[in-house]
Amino acid sequence: MTWILPLGETLQMEELSSPIRILRALGGGTQGQVFAVEVDGEALALKWYLPACLARDPQLARRLSASIRATAPNQDFLWPIALLHPTATSRAQIRCRDAGFGYLMDLRPADYVGAHEHVAGRLEISLRSVLRACFFLADAFHALHLRGLCYKDISLGNLFLQPGSGRILICDNDNVDVDGRDPGSVLGTPGFMAPEVLLGQARPGADSDLFSLAVLIFRLLTRHDPLRGQRELAIRCLDEPARRRLYGEDPLFIFDPADPSNRPDPIEHTAALITWPIYPERLKGLFEQTFCRGLRQPSLRALTGQWRRALSITLDQRQLCRACGQEVFPEPQCAGTCWSCGSPLQPVLRLQLAHGEVIAAPDNELHPHHFDALLPESLLTPLARVEAHPGDATIMGVRNLSTEPWSVELLDGAVVPLQPQKTCNLAPVRRLTTPAGAITVLR
Amino acid sequence: MPFPNVRLANRPLHFLYLCDCSGSMAAQGKMQALNQAIRQSLPGMTEVARQNPEARLLVRAVRFADQAHWHIAEPTPVEQLSWIDLEAGGVTAMGEALELVAAALQTPPMEERALPPVLVLISDGQPTDDFDRGLRTLLRQPWAQKAVRLAIALGHDADLEVLQQFIGQDPGGSGRSARRPLQAGNATSLAQYIQWASTAVVNAASMPASRMVPSAETAAPGPIPLPDLPPTVLDPTDDVGPLVW
Repeated sequence: MTWILPLGETLQMEELSSPIRILRALGGGTQGQVFAVEVDGEALALKWYLPACLARDPQLARRLSASIRATAPNQDFLWPIALLHPTATSRAQIRCRDAGFGYLMDLRPADYVGAHEHVAGRLEISLRSVLRACFFLADAFHALHLRGLCYKDISLGNLFLQPGSGRILICDNDNVDVDGRDPGSVLGTPGFMAPEVLLGQARPGADSDLFSLAVLIFRLLTRHDPLRGQRELAIRCLDEPARRRLYGEDPLFIFDPADPSNRPDPIEHTAALITWPIYPERLKGLFEQTFCRGLRQPSLRALTGQWRRALSITLDQRQLCRACGQEVFPEPQCAGTCWSCGSPLQPVLRLQLAHGEVIAAPDNELHPHHFDALLPESLLTPLARVEAHPGDATIMGVRNLSTEPWSVELLDGAVVPLQPQKTCNLAPVRRLTTPAGAITVLR
Repeated sequence: MPFPNVRLANRPLHFLYLCDCSGSMAAQGKMQALNQAIRQSLPGMTEVARQNPEARLLVRAVRFADQAHWHIAEPTPVEQLSWIDLEAGGVTAMGEALELVAAALQTPPMEERALPPVLVLISDGQPTDDFDRGLRTLLRQPWAQKAVRLAIALGHDADLEVLQQFIGQDPGGSGRSARRPLQAGNATSLAQYIQWASTAVVNAASMPASRMVPSAETAAPGPIPLPDLPPTVLDPTDDVGPLVW
């Protein structure tokens, strides 16, 4: 790769008093190249645009400046920090006739891997982490849309995951703009673009973001594409006109309840057939809403808040199959069988809260929104976590993650305190009283 | 409790180099420059293949001089590919090379379903055999018609007309275009074009590239919208004229 910024050298930028040292190249695409840089002893990333990209997108600098002023909608965006133009003397060091500009952002931590690694089946990741990643994604888009902004070009390529925690980072935020403000020059990524955008009937905005978001969540949850079933099998060469038919002119959701003609193929599309039955109806319903009626009617697509709610409830329903240990998400109050081994699911302890019910399964967490219906769903500050006893995995306890002591009322009426960071066996417990509210154990 | 052991369904993406190994390639280090350019492009190509779970990138190569032969006959996953250097010597059996590729693009051996193949023809001279017959044979194959056909002209003696025939209709207009032969006047630009074909074009053929509002270039008819050509990078050696030939 030929790098347009001089590796190892320092450049002066109009916007910075200190010089910027180009440490190494991190990667390049058709838009620009990204470098690891150092400014004032701080390690950052610098994206520098290629002339062809700048020529095509005259509003780019305006959008970036607006984003930088507005700051990131939440912590999950790798957001632009500063727009940089080289000084007249540094311009000569840039290996392009038109020196152009770039922007600074934080470096992506090494433990965040590209979402394509997950979809390609190369990542060890739990269903819990994948569902959490989907929640964080919906939450990030919720924050973005609430500000009146839209992303325009979400795809697997600009999403990164931390496999252990399900935390995410959304990169390439340079198309973000006020919804409907400017047609812009980006259309999106085929396969993620809403049909009306692919067909040229609309420009990307918040409504088409909702379609792309649903595609991305579907891909993360199933490792498959929502529109690729029998109709894809009929296509020999998957070229541009074929993609246009599949995603724009003649799209059909592979699990459309009313029309089974595009179901996944049992041999070619096994991922979809294995994973779809894992998820509860509430979640599947949002896909049906977005990919059936919402395919043609953008206003009917599932909203970010609906995704957030459905995903957090799915996480609350999570339990482990006693026969095979796999994570299962049975409908509330339903016996059901394990999707993985087919064993009937055993009854489990449930935790009743003012605003929700959480299964007592290891790693399930209680959050402030479980206690207060007015709080938005958030997974960032758990108040309690269910944990198995280190010596006996059949004993379930709840750990107090708050900073205040709780009181525990036992079945025999006795009351004992539970200090922060301590875990209490749920078997003899009737109720826990916390400053946030009561936790009642249901059997 | 891992996520089920499944992965996104994928399709093969066949990438074929057609390399001119005629005697003139021995002059001024052109053969070495081409070997180097392909060798250097492999890590980037491997990375692009990893990032595109929908595609299974498979590479082959044909060399042609007095005759055409498979240089890499087996469709090889790029991460397993080790490039064996080509050697120059002989005339330019380009037509025969096209016939060889035509046979490989029949179904079978081609899969029933695939992504558009990418064919990259690299030459520094003029065909010495029946190029027209070779091209006709090639373009009778549906997979060749659907293929992304690119050509790189090395030096000033390359026959731009036959390379244009291989690519298809000239898009018109002026300036550089991926739908015209890419003219590599020195080793740096050769490496850039090889890199571009093996990464940006592979990416576009396997899909996830983000789309911009179509320009005249990207809106031109073809199996896929082609990505921007690499920028003209100012090289410190630019002012001293051609570096290698």
